[in-house]
This record gives sequence, structure tokens and C-alpha cells, in this order.
Amino acid sequence: MWITLLTAVAESALEQLLNKEPALAVQLAATQHKTLAVTLTDLELCCALHYVGEQQGKARCFVYGNYQDQADCHITTTLSTLQELSDPSQLTRLIREEKLDLEGDLQLAQSYSKAFAGLNIDWAEHLSNHLGDAPAQLLVAQCERAKQRGASHLGILKRTVTQLCQDELNVAVHPLEVRQFKTHTRQLAQQLAALEQRINALSEL
Amino acid sequence: MVADVFHSVAAKYDVMNDLMSFGIHRLWKRQTIACSGVRQGHKVLDLAGGTGDLTAKFSELVGESGQVILGDINDSMLRVGRDKLRDLGRVGNIEYVQMNAEALPFPDNSLDVITIAFGLRNVTDKDKALRSMYRVLKPGGRLLVLEFSKTDNEALSKLYDFYSFNILPTMGKLVANDSESYRYLAESIRMHPDQETLKSMMEEAGFEQASYQNLTGGIVALHRGFKF
Ligand SMILES: C[S@@+](CC[C@H](N)C(=O)[O-])C[C@H]1O[C@@H](n2cnc3c(N)ncnc32)[C@H](O)[C@@H]1O
Repeated sequence: MWITLLTAVAESALEQLLNKEPALAVQLAATQHKTLAVTLTDLELCCALHYVGEQQGKARCFVYGNYQDQADCHITTTLSTLQELSDPSQLTRLIREEKLDLEGDLQLAQSYSKAFAGLNIDWAEHLSNHLGDAPAQLLVAQCERAKQRGASHLGILKRTVTQLCQDELNVAVHPLEVRQFKTHTRQLAQQLAALEQRINALSEL
Repeated sequence: MVADVFHSVAAKYDVMNDLMSFGIHRLWKRQTIACSGVRQGHKVLDLAGGTGDLTAKFSELVGESGQVILGDINDSMLRVGRDKLRDLGRVGNIEYVQMNAEALPFPDNSLDVITIAFGLRNVTDKDKALRSMYRVLKPGGRLLVLEFSKTDNEALSKLYDFYSFNILPTMGKLVANDSESYRYLAESIRMHPDQETLKSMMEEAGFEQASYQNLTGGIVALHRGFKF
């Protein structure tokens, strides 16, 4: 039931987007009345998207959860690989590397990927309808700055972690060294056992 | 009796539906659409369709080349449904037909999908209705039955009983000024066959690959069967 609720939320968000960004609806015109299903193997979930075009001047689509029917295009992949699809040129590479399985109409997947990749939402314009021009501009500018700051912090964090790992690698014992050490210890133990046997034999004389 | 009930509740049906189920009936119907496999060009029957919630969605999915028939035995419900859908601008691919589920007025093998949402429990001869649905479906077609069912969660079951026989009729009285009809609705839910029994009834009528999924802990179940 939660999946159904989530798909309802996703559907309504997507419809709002389609109606606010007419360019997206134009890009998706070729996908009208076709179903794109995506199975995410890590989440054991199959969702589907069905764009039906404009109805009474409004763009309409259906988002299904737990989809079980035949789709025009069916992608099977993982959540992380799906994120890479935001770059449409990666599709064929991902298929070649067997990170993604595609059954059916390749063009349908490409159309969706291209339509969403080319999306450039003018948040200030949309928000100004609710907040007024100046507060909307201010809010978007703040968010943009926060995003940049976030990205720069993330960059620093990534660099620090990489550096730490490299430093650790420099001082850590290599697995080959461990194996060599084990072999030496084993040889030493054998020599000791042999020596013990000889001492025992000599002391019995 | 059934006819009187639906004549009497027709005008307030949608408001009561949202109130009584706290809006959850919309999610149950969403799941029915997701499992329907309805596509462009399909011919779909929304049987016992009442005020046409499912019809509205199907009319978008089948497009101009398809057709949806809103079928109901009760002309008051049909009229409310027709007015609502026309106000929503849904015209062109919807037909409104008064019909009895026990004797569907269609030729053999003529429909792609039939749905019956919260309607089968009101049908007197359910086996006859299921056979009639099987007859009019095309090979490859499917039937979806969305209906109240039995929950095996004891706590939920008790809560649900209290709600159905105490709160529901009171709500019916306050909002629709008609506690009797809502008492009948609660009783008809109790009389309806449980999940396994309905599945067997569908198989008996000829449906293949009959299966069901429980929604909201089994308070409602969605049954699906195919004709091959
Ligand atoms: C609870 S309403 C359901 C309406 C709608 N499907 C929904 O889910 O909102 C039940 C409907 O079944 C209809 N009905 C009852 N017996 C019927 C029969 N034998 N044939 C066709 N419709 C019937 C009633 O008139 C009523 O509109």
C-alpha cells in the first residue's frame, strides 16, 4: 500500500512538472500511450510510467508500482546505475557492461532519458507565483549558494577520505608481506619440530 | 432493497466514499488500474461502476481509439456518474449503459478488460454474474474484482467491526441522513465470500490464473483472473 501511495505522490509531482515545463511535455510527445517499466533489482521493485498526453489542456501520466504487465520498454537495473542514466549517452555503455538490461523499444528509454536530462527548471519563475518576485529570487539564490557550498564540502570530504586511505595504505602491511611472513613462520615451526626430534633422539642415547 | 439503497445514496456517494474510507478507496482503485493492463485502443467495462471513478481513469488510458462502458443497474448512480464525468470533460469514448451484471448485454468475446469495484457483493447471483463476465471477455482478456474481504488480523478485524456497525451508520445519518443504507452496506460486506472462496468461484466460472492480493490487511482484496 505504501508503494501505491508513493506512486500517487510521484504521479502528481510529475504532472505538476509536465504542466509547468511545457518543453518536457513536447519532448515526451513521442512516448505518448507507451509504457516504460523499470525493475530495480536491489529494491525488488518494478515501477512503470505511462504518459497519456494532454487531456483537457493538462498533461496526464500514470505511475504504477508493483507493475506486472508487458511494457513497451523494460529496463532492469540497480538504483545507483539508474542515476547514471541521467546522461543519455551512457545507455549503450551500461548495456554493454551488463549493468543494465533493456527489453523492447530502446528509443523509448532514450526519449525519457533525453527529456529529463535536458530539463532546466526555472524555479524562481515558478516560485514567484506563490511568493512574489523578490522573495522567490532570494530563495533560489540562497538555495543555489547552499548547493554550491554543499558540493564544495563534499569535495573536501572526498579528498580527505582519499588522502586518509592513501596514508593508511602507505603504512599498512601488504597482503603479500603477510603471506610471506606466514610461510616463514611455518618453515621455522617445522625446523623447530625437527630439532626437537633430534634432541630427543640424542638424549635417549 | 439494493436498488433502493443506491438510489438513496447516489447524490452523496462520492463524499461518503472519501469520508468512510478516509480517502483510502482512491489507493485501492489505483492498485486496480495498475493491475488492469489497460492500453490504448482497449474496450473496457467498468461494471457496477456507480459514479465512475475507474471509468474516468480508463477513458484516459484507452485514448480516442478505445472505449469505456460505465455499466450499472441503478440509473440514479449512472446519472450522477455521467454528470460528474462530463463536468470533468471526459466525453467521446465513454458510454453509459444500465445493465445487470448477471446478464451482460454484450456479444461473446467482445471486451478486453472488466472491472467490478465494490459491486459484486451487491449482486444476487454472483456465480451467474462471473459466468456472464467470462463469456463477454475476449480471449486474453482479464477480470478484476475489487471488494471488501476478510482480514485475518484479529485486532484489525475487531476495530473494523466496531467501525462498520457503529461509526459507519452514524456517519451515514449525519452526512447523508440515511443510516439504514449504511447499515445495509456494512452487513453486505460481512456476507461477501472471503478471498479463497471468491478465487474458487472465479475458477469455477472458467477464469484461469486466478489470484488475489490483500490490500490494507485484507479489509479489501483485489482478485484477478484471465480468459485464455
Ligand atoms: C458501492 S457501489 C460501487 C461504485 C463504484 N464501482 C465505486 O467503486 O465507487 C456499488 C454499485 O453496484 C451497483 N450494482 C448493484 N447490483 C448490481 C448488478 N446486479 N448489476 C450491476 N450493478 C449493480 C449499484 O447500483 C452501485 O452503483
